[in-house]
Amino acid sequence: MIILHRLVRLVVVLLVVTFLSYALLNLLPGDPVTQILGMSATEESREQLRRELGLDQPLVVRYLDWLGGLLTGDFGESYITRMSVGAELAERLPVTLELLIAAEIVALGLAVPLGVAAARRAGRGLDQALTALSFALLSTPVFVLGVLLILIFAVTWNVLPATGWTSLSVDLGWNLTSVILPAVTLGCGQLAVYARLLRTDLIATLQEDYIVLARARGLSPRRIMWRHALRPSAISLITAIGLNMGALIGGTVIIETLFGLPGIGRLIVDSIFSRDYLTVQGGVVLISVGYVVVNFAVDVVYAAVDPRIRRA
Amino acid sequence: MRRRLGIGFWLAVGWIGVVLLAALLADLLPLYRYDETLAGPPQTGPSWEHPLGTDGLGRDVLSRIVYGARVSLGVGVGAVLLGLLIGAPLGILAGYRRRAADAIIMAVNDVALAFPALVFALAVVAFAGASLRNVLIVLAVLGVPAWVRLVRGATLSFAEREFVLAARVLGTRDRRILWREIVPNVAMPAASYAFIGMAVVVVAEGSLAFLGLSVQAPTPTWGGLINEGRTLMETAPHVVLVPSVVMFLTVLSFNLVGDRLRALTDVRESGLEPVRQVTVSPMPVAEHQVRDTLLQAEDVRTHFVTPRGLVKAVDGVSFTLERGRTLAIVGESGSGKSMLIRSILGLLPGSAVRGGKVYLSGEDLTARTPAEMRSVLGPRLGTVFQDPMTALNPVRTIGTQVTEPLRVHLGLGRKEARAEAVRLLASVGIPDPVRMLGRYPHQLSGGMRQRVTIAMALSCGPDVLFADEPTTALDVTIQDQVLRLLHRLREEHHMAVVLVSHDLSVVARWADEVIVMYAGKVVERGPAAEVFRRPRMPYTQALLQAAPRLSDPVHHRLREIPGRPPDLVDLPPGCSFRPRCAYARDRCGQEAPPLVNGSGHQYACWYPRPIETAIAEGAESSGR
Repeated sequence: MIILHRLVRLVVVLLVVTFLSYALLNLLPGDPVTQILGMSATEESREQLRRELGLDQPLVVRYLDWLGGLLTGDFGESYITRMSVGAELAERLPVTLELLIAAEIVALGLAVPLGVAAARRAGRGLDQALTALSFALLSTPVFVLGVLLILIFAVTWNVLPATGWTSLSVDLGWNLTSVILPAVTLGCGQLAVYARLLRTDLIATLQEDYIVLARARGLSPRRIMWRHALRPSAISLITAIGLNMGALIGGTVIIETLFGLPGIGRLIVDSIFSRDYLTVQGGVVLISVGYVVVNFAVDVVYAAVDPRIRRA
Repeated sequence: MRRRLGIGFWLAVGWIGVVLLAALLADLLPLYRYDETLAGPPQTGPSWEHPLGTDGLGRDVLSRIVYGARVSLGVGVGAVLLGLLIGAPLGILAGYRRRAADAIIMAVNDVALAFPALVFALAVVAFAGASLRNVLIVLAVLGVPAWVRLVRGATLSFAEREFVLAARVLGTRDRRILWREIVPNVAMPAASYAFIGMAVVVVAEGSLAFLGLSVQAPTPTWGGLINEGRTLMETAPHVVLVPSVVMFLTVLSFNLVGDRLRALTDVRESGLEPVRQVTVSPMPVAEHQVRDTLLQAEDVRTHFVTPRGLVKAVDGVSFTLERGRTLAIVGESGSGKSMLIRSILGLLPGSAVRGGKVYLSGEDLTARTPAEMRSVLGPRLGTVFQDPMTALNPVRTIGTQVTEPLRVHLGLGRKEARAEAVRLLASVGIPDPVRMLGRYPHQLSGGMRQRVTIAMALSCGPDVLFADEPTTALDVTIQDQVLRLLHRLREEHHMAVVLVSHDLSVVARWADEVIVMYAGKVVERGPAAEVFRRPRMPYTQALLQAAPRLSDPVHHRLREIPGRPPDLVDLPPGCSFRPRCAYARDRCGQEAPPLVNGSGHQYACWYPRPIETAIAEGAESSGR
């Protein structure tokens, strides 16, 4: 029931986001017709092209038309390149997906052990060092971090490529080397958030009676931490994964430009520069859908982590 | 309550001040022009002439950074102020007129989180023109939802406080309340968030500039400088490093200032404050003999070093306990009963200091390391806590929790452990134990849960069972069942039981011996029947009278103990109970009474109650 309620809400969010972005993109100055025909075109030919593209229709009609197409999987056709937006997005999507997944793996893979280590010895040296580190990471803009990592690993040590992409289907090894730096860059900001949240929640959980009783049963600190305390402390962390997903996907715009990855983010930037409305719009839809899907998944994961949320 | 801001805060303020001044006074400073090419040889490192080197076109990097700061800080401060201007009134309104606003704000929030803000900013700036004004407006608008959220939250927490409610009741006009009571209180969180918001905006502007969509060349921007510098990374890394470091320091400073300001106003501990570890010299232990008995506690002390002073939660408690006996520890909450148990088990929080000795079958437990202690906890010492609602891990099944000690301590396999768990659950009276293994704690009643925790405590066949208020959280009807169960198990397993309780009817019926604690000390002790029939210390007597009895007449007035439990940081001189004692005389305030040795029945009182009156008032309590 709760999950159904959430689903309805998320679908509404999706509709609002798509409409808002559609309206904004169309109301902004700058005209695809001018972009295609150039400044010198006659008013007549402009009018004709406008009709051809359906731009003479009112905004709401165009939006509904576009939305209708979207429901059948048709993202429309780019005004500029006359290519199917859907095909273009589908080609770019795997790159961005891989980047996102790799970034979350980096972030969680480091945040969980770090958060656990800090909570175990709260207030001690390691904990304070982690607090300082996460504060510094949170204050590092993603493009600054990316530039620094490129400078260290690609330019100075020359162990990883600075830019470029090898598809997973071409070569696994090269694919991994090309995803490491972008994923670390993108993941570090999340790492800081996750580690801090987990640490705070773990410290609270470790005060619980059932943890003291687990100690009273002579269980080892490691066992108590990983088997008893971690799961009840994970709720905030999981929430943050969902809520930060929008920001994380936004980060791919910069990462993909910086590292020259042919993903959705790069496509959006390029399309913005070429005034390719429908492609930008398609990218926005994809990002919002991604956010909604992840947050729905988060709700399902809640139930798996905490049985109290499960309803008979 | 004022907390120190710390050196980091002032360094951050200093850095922001330097950057801000440089940006404001850029035209007056002896700098090269930011767009002067070949001001020096291209791509050279730092020198006297160019303290931060030159870029690919020979332009002075320092000058470009300083002029870039105008854009970064200008947009940062401007967008935050504009966002505040729009967001704060909305937020105050939403917090004050709560009902209608809540739904809207939730909805806007949902959308704002799913909306790719950076993409939106990119599109607007690209289409509307990359000017300072457009960038500023876009980033300000994007910041508004966060401002509304913050100000609303702060307003809400004050709109419900007493002084605002009082003003409302007195008929003060709303506008007046807003200006007089709420705005000043919201100001501090808003100031703190303003700095964090500036960090966010500086990063956002940098991102736009990095993608080439902020203020256009030739005006330098930090993000633009980093983007340009990328191409020279191999030959002149300083061109990209310098703006990166400057940007990092600026963002860090804004965050730090915001964070410290928040910490100033935040009443709750964020959990991020470092906990200072105190090292206290070990407490000397009085001369004593190690006896041939199951459990012997000698002069057990538990002290806490708190900001207010030293708290002696347990202050020199000794006892011995034989197999097959039940020792009751009685006292009000805060008297140190539970801390005594935790001290014996070595399960104190990190801030506690422990003194005294505990012997189990003549072996010194206090000499054991935590790791060595683990082989005793469970197999020899079992524990049951007060609240069965919090004593079981909510996310693990009963089966996992009951089998765990069996597998860890006794090394049983999965199947054997399950079989043993079923047997244990059945022995504590749980119906259908096989099905119970797959259940979660929240699916069980309080009584059932307490039976499960008892089964867990007994799983490795302990010699001593510590039961800390095992029935306090349970229904009266269940209480008796659980106590009966504990008694039966004591007989079956030939254990000793330490029963902690504030409920005297519990103790009177099931205990062999009694210790009465007050302010961390033993004030009376002896055979249970004797202490209850003839209490000598006025505190014990008062405790007995405060317990409601089923035999009391319907309109019987409950006699409570006057006054409050003592402040452990600031104990009165002499007898700790003196301020609440009806029989206190001068001597009680001067000298603390020692525990005097009667025939097994000891009490710490200068003027013990005579035996006759005690009989009259305390007799029926034991016969419930």
